[in-house]
Amino acid sequence: MLALLIVGSFALLTLTYRGSTGLQSGVSTVFSPVQSVSDRALKPARDLVDWFDETFDARGENSRLASELAVVRGKAVAGQEALQENAQMRKLLALDGSPALAYSAYEPVTGRVIARSPTVWRSSVTIDLGSGDGVRVDDPVISGDGLVGRISSAGPGSSQVMLLTDHASSISAKVVPPGVQGVVKPEVGNPEDLILDFIDSTREVHGGQDVVTAGWRAQGLESLFPPGLPIGEVTKAPIVEQEASQRVDVRPYADLRNLDFVQVLTGGSRG
Amino acid sequence: MIVTPRILLRIAAIGLLGVLLQLSFFSRVELLHVSPDILPALVVCMGLLGGSMAGAVSGFAIGFFVDCLLVEALGITSLVLLAVGYLAGLFRERFEIHSSLVPALLCMGLTLLAELGFGAVELLLGVDAPVSVLVVRDILLKSVYAFFLGWPIYLGVRRALRPALVEEPKVRRRRQPTVLGV
Repeated sequence: MLALLIVGSFALLTLTYRGSTGLQSGVSTVFSPVQSVSDRALKPARDLVDWFDETFDARGENSRLASELAVVRGKAVAGQEALQENAQMRKLLALDGSPALAYSAYEPVTGRVIARSPTVWRSSVTIDLGSGDGVRVDDPVISGDGLVGRISSAGPGSSQVMLLTDHASSISAKVVPPGVQGVVKPEVGNPEDLILDFIDSTREVHGGQDVVTAGWRAQGLESLFPPGLPIGEVTKAPIVEQEASQRVDVRPYADLRNLDFVQVLTGGSRG
Repeated sequence: MIVTPRILLRIAAIGLLGVLLQLSFFSRVELLHVSPDILPALVVCMGLLGGSMAGAVSGFAIGFFVDCLLVEALGITSLVLLAVGYLAGLFRERFEIHSSLVPALLCMGLTLLAELGFGAVELLLGVDAPVSVLVVRDILLKSVYAFFLGWPIYLGVRRALRPALVEEPKVRRRRQPTVLGV
């Protein structure tokens, strides 16, 4: 019996890597209403535990946020000026590739997070939106703060979101203002830290700069993510010498550990 | 354990409830930045009460159900949890449980083993990103949480499966003292 179960486990593993997810999709669809109900029922209990946890963190967080707010105020003023200038320049040049326009090609659909993976090795959440809501595999997923991840599988009534912190996640991004490009990858086990890798080492990157999706398009291929979606902020940029590329640490804007609602950007130019 | 259709239904209900609680509640709350994982502890309790085969089968089934709900690679959770359930059952078959601390300690130890097992399987299958040392903190704290959650889970599962347990110690009634004290 034990041998049968072990063989069964390996057979299931093989089945997965051969790309068969029909059974999982069926089970997930059947149980997604139950998960949705249990999610809502358990929300007060979750909030209570979160309250205790957040109280511990609140003191340190307060001083950090106060200093961040001062910096962000300065950025916001500068950003407003830049937006006005940008709008005028775009009118003049009749460009249609602005982040705002690219974003408008997508139709955001708001969904609720109903389950989360229990292990640190996988970082995914289940949402109550499915293909019936227009959600498709690889659609970008955002929260109010920034990019969260992308749809890894979509059933009729629920979908799985691969978060930025999943080890299989990899996103082309750029640091603004200099526009240096790289690839954002996670550091497994640390949800507060991402790594922006493969940056040209001759370009200077420093802490406090924003990291957004690059949204490239070349030779008929294009990034899964529209350009300009905020990902995070550079926290540490070590000085490298005699290396072809450098890597910097990025703190994600989205609180990936406490997601209740997310938006799936459906449609887009891939539609 | 005497497995009747009714008991089988109860085991399935316990498994379903445990998985839903894990995915909708425990995975989404954090204490010291780490979420508790009750599934290894639940499987340990099944093994401790039902023996190695019951532990292995419930571990396999719970793992399969979790992987189906999360649409993740099938077989990984099943493999790890079946090992945990089997080991817990083996312990019950080889040793007497004298202390009430034993279930909690076993939950802690086998949760540690399960988390290490998940890590080992994932690393064997290939992890395309650097691994933070914070994984160690996650694994250790999950084990500590399993110690505290293990005992209530054990009591709950034992209560639910009481009619099926063959080695349940009988409640001894105290003799009423007689006039002569004999």
